[in-house]
Amino acid sequence: MHPTIRLVNRNLTISLNPGFVVWQVMFPIVYIFVAGFAYTTLIDSVKLGDVSLDYPAFIASGMIGFNIMNSTLVSGIIIWNDRRHGMFEQILVGPFKRSHYILSNVYTIAIVGLISATLITSIGFPLFFKSTHFNLLTIPFLIFASVVGSILFGSIASIISTRLRSSEGFNVIINTVFLFFAFVSTAFYPAQGAPEPLATGFYLNPLTYLVDIIRAGIFGTFNEFVMLEMIVLVSVAATLFVIAINLLTKLDL
Amino acid sequence: MSIKSRSLFKSYGDLVAVNGIDLDIGSGKIFGFLGPNGAGKSTTIKLLTTLVPPSRGSIEILGIDAIKNPLDVRKRIGVVLQQPSYEPNLSVEKSLEKYGMMWDVDKKTRKQRTDELIDVFDLGEIRKKKNEDLSIGQRRRVQVAREFMHEMDLLFMDEPTVGLDPSARRNLLDYLKDKAKAGLTIFYTTHVLTEAEYLCDEIAVINKGKILAVDTPDQLKSTFGQEKTIKIHLTNKYDDLVSLLLGISGCRIEFDTGTNIIIQSSKAEIVLSQVLSILIENNIPIEDLSALPTTLEEIFLRMVKDTNAPNN
Repeated sequence: MHPTIRLVNRNLTISLNPGFVVWQVMFPIVYIFVAGFAYTTLIDSVKLGDVSLDYPAFIASGMIGFNIMNSTLVSGIIIWNDRRHGMFEQILVGPFKRSHYILSNVYTIAIVGLISATLITSIGFPLFFKSTHFNLLTIPFLIFASVVGSILFGSIASIISTRLRSSEGFNVIINTVFLFFAFVSTAFYPAQGAPEPLATGFYLNPLTYLVDIIRAGIFGTFNEFVMLEMIVLVSVAATLFVIAINLLTKLDL
Repeated sequence: MSIKSRSLFKSYGDLVAVNGIDLDIGSGKIFGFLGPNGAGKSTTIKLLTTLVPPSRGSIEILGIDAIKNPLDVRKRIGVVLQQPSYEPNLSVEKSLEKYGMMWDVDKKTRKQRTDELIDVFDLGEIRKKKNEDLSIGQRRRVQVAREFMHEMDLLFMDEPTVGLDPSARRNLLDYLKDKAKAGLTIFYTTHVLTEAEYLCDEIAVINKGKILAVDTPDQLKSTFGQEKTIKIHLTNKYDDLVSLLLGISGCRIEFDTGTNIIIQSSKAEIVLSQVLSILIENNIPIEDLSALPTTLEEIFLRMVKDTNAPNN
């Protein structure tokens, strides 16, 4: 078996523990089914291009992007945990190159992102079923969003993991990043009608671009703006990925 | 030859961690690497295990150029690092099994070795426990046991017995002796000199990045430990005794607490007779007297002290 695949196997074993899986499923379910229906009284429907969505359908589709971010941030923390618990050095004195280790983390993050997206798409499907506009772009858009989003958020977690040494600092940064990404985005609420500074803030957040692309795939609302969002997302993901690889390559032992 | 290095040198900025080390370690030997904290032991291990590249010098491990082909070296060695390494949320059993998988050991062999090692390292009671719930000593035992999940020709161990209780320590040392008899070469660092004496075929003493001596434990003692240590315990303290004994030449005398006298000399018999004469002439009663050969620990301490002296 190729060394990278062996490391992916190991990464998935340590990432997909029961607590993580329950968290990955329960958290979005609560949002989709509790917040989704509870907020219906506040947000009747959301206009998305020519399509009008009820709020549960809107949040269920947003949770796909949210879960990709959430799960890949956690997977990106593998590097942090490996450094903290001595496994980074242990792996590098084993039958592996540093590139095997880096690639295994990229693959793990992408796999977790894809699984996560599939899981939440399945859970949320009954809610956005009637608004779904299946077309040739639906599946490619979802895969594109899962892979690019995973690489982007996984790279952010990897960068944080390589730069910080104290647990306290790491927890503060990762929680702050999580809060900003999760709640200053269009995952939970639409940008239309939000105060101007907040609406601007939404578009400083890659999660907004990610969920916009996912919604465009599911509800068939692809337009030039979504195209632009895809370009921005790929550019940011590529930049962060290069920075993360660079930092990982130079990581001191 | 399992390990061969020439003029191995590693510096971090102005700090010279390893300063021109030459090593020749034969196959099937247990080679002890002793030195105080910060002497350069762990850096040497990092160099030999290809974890960091040397600033200059050459390293050959199992006949392979370790600087040009580090991966080929790493495929044939095992390493127990000084720092703990574990996956917190895996059970002991799963840790061993996954480590074997990482080394591409087939499933059947993994299962068999896991059971064997759990038995050898007395991990039966904790086999289902997660690493994060283990004590430091238990975690260390798992870390050491894990390294035997895969085949290797050379094993590096950086202070592997830290945190182990005496019986686990002895158990490990005997296991390592058996492995060496079966042909495994072991590069072993420790602070516990009795452990090195019990285990190692050859010992190198390192300080300030340089090797001070390399030899078998017995040869080290015979070369550097020709002196004997005489310990005399007096019943009472005698103030004039210091000036009386200082007249004896060819020895070092320490007065510990006033009633304990420690004399070190390479002519211990002559010095002892002179000391006894003085004590008898002055009617000074002796409570206890012993003459001991110099231990490896004393040799080690003296070597380190000598190299730490300002003119060195």
